[in-house]
Amino acid sequence: MGWYNKRLAKSLWVFHISGSPCNNCDIEILDLITPKYDVERLGIKLVGSIRHADVLLVTGVFNEKVAPKIKKIYEQAPKPIFVVAIGSCPSSGTVFKNSYNIVENRESVIPIDMYIPGCPPKPEAMIEGVAKLMEKLNG
Amino acid sequence: MKTKSNLKNIVNKNQIPLGPFHPLLEEAEYFNITVDGETVVDIDMDTGWMHRGHEFISEQKTFTQSIYLVERICGICSTSHPLACVHAVEDVDNIEIPLRGRYIRTLVGELERIHSHLLWVGLAGHFIGYDTVWMWAWKYREPVLQMFEIISGNRNHYGMLRVGGVGKDVDPASVPELNKILDTLDKKMDMIAKIANDDPVLRSRLVNVGILSKKDAIDFCAVGPTSRASGVRGDIRKDEPTDAYDLVDFNEIITKNGDVYDKFVVRVLETLESIKICRQCLNKLKIIDGPILNNVKEISAGEGIGRYEAPRGEVFHYVRTDGTNRPIRHKVRAPSYNNIPTFQASCKGIPIADALITLAGVDPCYCCTERAIRVTDKNNKKNNIDLLKLSRDKTSNIRGNF
Amino acid sequence: MADYQEFINEMGSKIKVEIKKKRRLYFQVKNDDILEIIDHLFNKMGCRLSTATATETYNGVEALYHFSDDKTGNYYCPRVVMKDKENPEMNSITPIVKGAEWIEREMAEWWGIKFIGHPRPIPLLSRNHPKAPNKPMRCGR
Repeated sequence: MGWYNKRLAKSLWVFHISGSPCNNCDIEILDLITPKYDVERLGIKLVGSIRHADVLLVTGVFNEKVAPKIKKIYEQAPKPIFVVAIGSCPSSGTVFKNSYNIVENRESVIPIDMYIPGCPPKPEAMIEGVAKLMEKLNG
Repeated sequence: MKTKSNLKNIVNKNQIPLGPFHPLLEEAEYFNITVDGETVVDIDMDTGWMHRGHEFISEQKTFTQSIYLVERICGICSTSHPLACVHAVEDVDNIEIPLRGRYIRTLVGELERIHSHLLWVGLAGHFIGYDTVWMWAWKYREPVLQMFEIISGNRNHYGMLRVGGVGKDVDPASVPELNKILDTLDKKMDMIAKIANDDPVLRSRLVNVGILSKKDAIDFCAVGPTSRASGVRGDIRKDEPTDAYDLVDFNEIITKNGDVYDKFVVRVLETLESIKICRQCLNKLKIIDGPILNNVKEISAGEGIGRYEAPRGEVFHYVRTDGTNRPIRHKVRAPSYNNIPTFQASCKGIPIADALITLAGVDPCYCCTERAIRVTDKNNKKNNIDLLKLSRDKTSNIRGNF
Repeated sequence: MADYQEFINEMGSKIKVEIKKKRRLYFQVKNDDILEIIDHLFNKMGCRLSTATATETYNGVEALYHFSDDKTGNYYCPRVVMKDKENPEMNSITPIVKGAEWIEREMAEWWGIKFIGHPRPIPLLSRNHPKAPNKPMRCGR
């Protein structure tokens, strides 16, 4: 699928879901498309439906109620789709790991290809992460 | 057997599911809006998508660890929650805070209000399909985050507060730079205030939309800009002046109509007041010298209530202690918890295209633009993207008329 | 402190004052009197319901309501103690204060308190929940 990935890397369309985050990563993602960072210059676009997306951004520790819905969204996505987990929550669970309502292993819900840690990661870090993804796709 | 009128009800009343990944809300909620033709007749809510059990985790943490935990309740109110939490712990023992610490607390709290209100102004513009407002408002939000970076070292989640004061001092050398950023911000906020006054598209989309009457605001115990836009007095900064709020001069903004436009105006004017408070704090920080943190050795057994006027209204924390270093009960109440049920009053009887901006009108801590999924796929059910499109189409039609 | 002395005098023996602090008044109320007290606080004195807190202690399950008087900045906190830990029951205040609907639903769900006369007694956070936790906030969970 090398040729396909190269085409994909030219313009990544991103869909964003939040699985019980604190909103902060979500706002920083939105910040990326506003004038200061403006990732649309790199061909990245935030889309309104998973069916148009190449990259799925997830934030937050998934709680038990939201996890099946996240799984459903992932199943609806056209493959290949690259899942990027934003923030420290999906990678480690941070302060929430003792809670009664969260999924212990996020990778059991959906496969995650890439983690961008930070609470929240700085927009520059997210851009770097996506740039690395593009590099990988270009081979 | 179905009678004729029953059948008519079924045919005419459509249900529109909103969510559960709806971008508007802090606790991503599932709304089931019943419409008759184009009019909203009923609205039902299902919450719990974001429940992480903060109150449960907090009982296992010490008071200082708790501050970092409650910071992560909401990324936008990441000063308000810790502030209310430390107020609650301080209320147990009536702990005094050094003067310099009080000014720093007020400065951080007010900067947060500016960034939160600008965020709302931008997203309100986005929801009515007026993306210019969004881009501009978020552009002018960036300097505030830059100020946060200078003060605390991080753009969000500042970790500034401790029981008995603040953990990090404001460098006196950075004050002129902070003042300079405030000056540019002031001019831009004046511009946004003028836009709110003059722009015909904004006015025609927001005036008389989603009215929350004064009686409903009192009945639902609404707080913050949501109730102040309906003419209900109530600002914790005035009622129970903690920190440096009794030492600074500012006005409480109250409007009468209770529609989304009034909420817009309240928020924009409050931002101007916040800039005023920030200036006063920075000026005082140049003069006042001294400690920033009162060393607190222990918290005795007792009960404490702490509250703070967050950008969205009153944040309420209740802490019950037993003399150890951790609370036996820590209750958290975010302002949206009281404001969201007002949808039942403000949404009924309005056109469906206005429902989205009315839902957004109370600023329910929404974070992202389009995260909606289609949850059901029966006939005559629309998904949320259609709703956003409806709202945007209405604006573009109006814009065409001018 | 003089502000809430009037309230204490008026209520007389119906309330049992527990803690008196600057701007804070905690008092215990019997389950039968709660509606009357809340009617007085909300309708006569114009207080606003901040929220309610449920706690489990050695004495039983407690529900503590927090009423804020915005004119003076005082807090009135009526506390109802339910001795029966297995099936705690109390009167719902939602018919008087509409804003209490959500918090009572949440308390019913996480603590198992039954609110008599609640207009919509369905779970708030664990509705349609695939693995609903069973009273997770109670001791011995």
